[in-house]
Amino acid sequence: MHINRKEVLRDPWFVAGLCLALAFGFVALLGPALAPYDPWNMGFEPIASPDSRHLLGVNDGGQDILSELLYAVRNTVAFGLLSGLAALGLGVAAGLAAGWYGGPVDAFLMRLADVLLAVPAVMVLILAAALFRPEPWVLALLLAVFAWPTISKTIRAQTLSLRTSLHVKAAVRMGASGRYILRRHLLPEMFPLYLIGFAAKARMAMFMEASLAFLGLFDPSRKSLGMMISYALKFYYMDIWWHWLMPPVLCLSLLIMGVTFLAVGLEKVLDPRLRTVTGEPV
Amino acid sequence: MKATGGREMTGKRRGVGTVISFALAALVMIYLSYQVPRLLPGDFVTAMYASSQVTLTAEEAADLRAYYAQEGGFGGYLARVLTLDWGYSYAFLTPVSELFFEALPWTLLLLGTAHLLSMAAGFVGGVEAAWRHGRVAEKGLVGGMTLLEGMPEISTGVILLFVFALNLNWFPAVGAETAYADLGGIDRLGNILHHLALPLTTLILAYVPGNFLLTRNSMILVLRAPFIQTARAKGLPPIRIRYAHAARNALLPLATRFGLRLAFMITGALVIERIYAYPGLGTLLFNAIQARDLPVIQSVVLMSSIGVLGVILCLEAAYRLIDPRIRNAH
Repeated sequence: MHINRKEVLRDPWFVAGLCLALAFGFVALLGPALAPYDPWNMGFEPIASPDSRHLLGVNDGGQDILSELLYAVRNTVAFGLLSGLAALGLGVAAGLAAGWYGGPVDAFLMRLADVLLAVPAVMVLILAAALFRPEPWVLALLLAVFAWPTISKTIRAQTLSLRTSLHVKAAVRMGASGRYILRRHLLPEMFPLYLIGFAAKARMAMFMEASLAFLGLFDPSRKSLGMMISYALKFYYMDIWWHWLMPPVLCLSLLIMGVTFLAVGLEKVLDPRLRTVTGEPV
Repeated sequence: MKATGGREMTGKRRGVGTVISFALAALVMIYLSYQVPRLLPGDFVTAMYASSQVTLTAEEAADLRAYYAQEGGFGGYLARVLTLDWGYSYAFLTPVSELFFEALPWTLLLLGTAHLLSMAAGFVGGVEAAWRHGRVAEKGLVGGMTLLEGMPEISTGVILLFVFALNLNWFPAVGAETAYADLGGIDRLGNILHHLALPLTTLILAYVPGNFLLTRNSMILVLRAPFIQTARAKGLPPIRIRYAHAARNALLPLATRFGLRLAFMITGALVIERIYAYPGLGTLLFNAIQARDLPVIQSVVLMSSIGVLGVILCLEAAYRLIDPRIRNAH
């Protein structure tokens, strides 16, 4: 299994997703350098409309909204990437182990996966956040604990089919150890699946971060898109829609869209079942 | 996505195994909910309520500490959970179970309707789209749905609120019905539906694209199968081929996806209730978080998790109805 680079880059969804992801990656990396003010500086005139000094105006706490927004994007992206990577690592490890070793290992891991899938992660996160007020990265990892099962199921299915493929059989014949085959043959071969799984989980984690922040479960001084929407919504009856409420809404939508399109584009190119006879993706 | 182990296990034993592992999961959740407050360092009652808007009298704090000391051990806690004795909310000055059962019907109404409608719409839309595969209209629909798939519920909710409630004034912005309106019968129903419209639309817009895209993709595969060609050759009317022959096969992935995604879809529902101040469990939870009202947070979290487990368990049974291959296996 490998990605045909030309084909992926011809897919409009993938290209759109890539552009959005690059743009947000840029903002996330350079956010603090781009921000015109310190986002925690409360020294400006509260609830001011945009002007040349504050491009998006000032919020009720006297903070510059543009600076807040740049830091918020950074936090949301970081949360999504960390949680997505952790879920991917767990999912790949569990899927490979379940598919390769089979038997009780498989039965145990997949039962565990079924049960974890049925638990609403947001409820566990809410309880953990409300009781222990942990750092955001702890919540990101906790989310990954509930997010790996779907990845592991795909990886397991693929491992099962690769097990019977000729090159793996040949490697077994030549006396390669299980660990060697897993590392040198199976792990690299499924690389495209990791990209899809990672994009899906990062998307889910960013949405989760925004929701938890919207519900007020993070430290109130931590900038987040969800928290900005939640605070701005309190003033919905005022003339704040275009400069205060819409920018975080728009950023969150574009961010989630970017990751979604990446996943959609990759899936379309990689899923052999969705091809026509001529090999064109549908 | 039937779980594993299915190779050796018969259908019936698998069913029993699922019930047992779900019952275990529910027990583990109740146990965690019992144990977790004790893991907190120091006097958590003081710590929790220090940042709360509610101030407890010494007596109330002592009551709460006694409640969390859980004299009866885990068995006692389990009995309390089962007998709906979930403690007392000092923020709302009401027993927790009363608050919970006041909010529950609204959440069920909102979520149940949203899931049913978006399943139906996504399924029919997907079947019809796959049937017209390759036409301009189908491509446009798929593009539109993919775009919508990228919209998080928070954004759709805020935008709909802005356009239809605040600018056009077509729908109310808050609540589930007009307070103190004292409407009877049909008028009350109309009022409830009027309030339901915006949150419901938001959730449907969030749920339909996934259902649509999945149904369309599985239908495209099904429509290439030989038995469809047979059905066509027999001269059956197209609508019969589409629904009686082909669509049945696309129903199972849809049900599977619902089971896999339900636990995550709860998140969006919480947020939507808060945006429209809809008086369901999400809003109750939000208010409890704001007030740091631990008994309420704990009960809502525990009960809704168990509820989701229950729904997924029912879904496992529904698989057998949808797919005779599972029912008749072995």
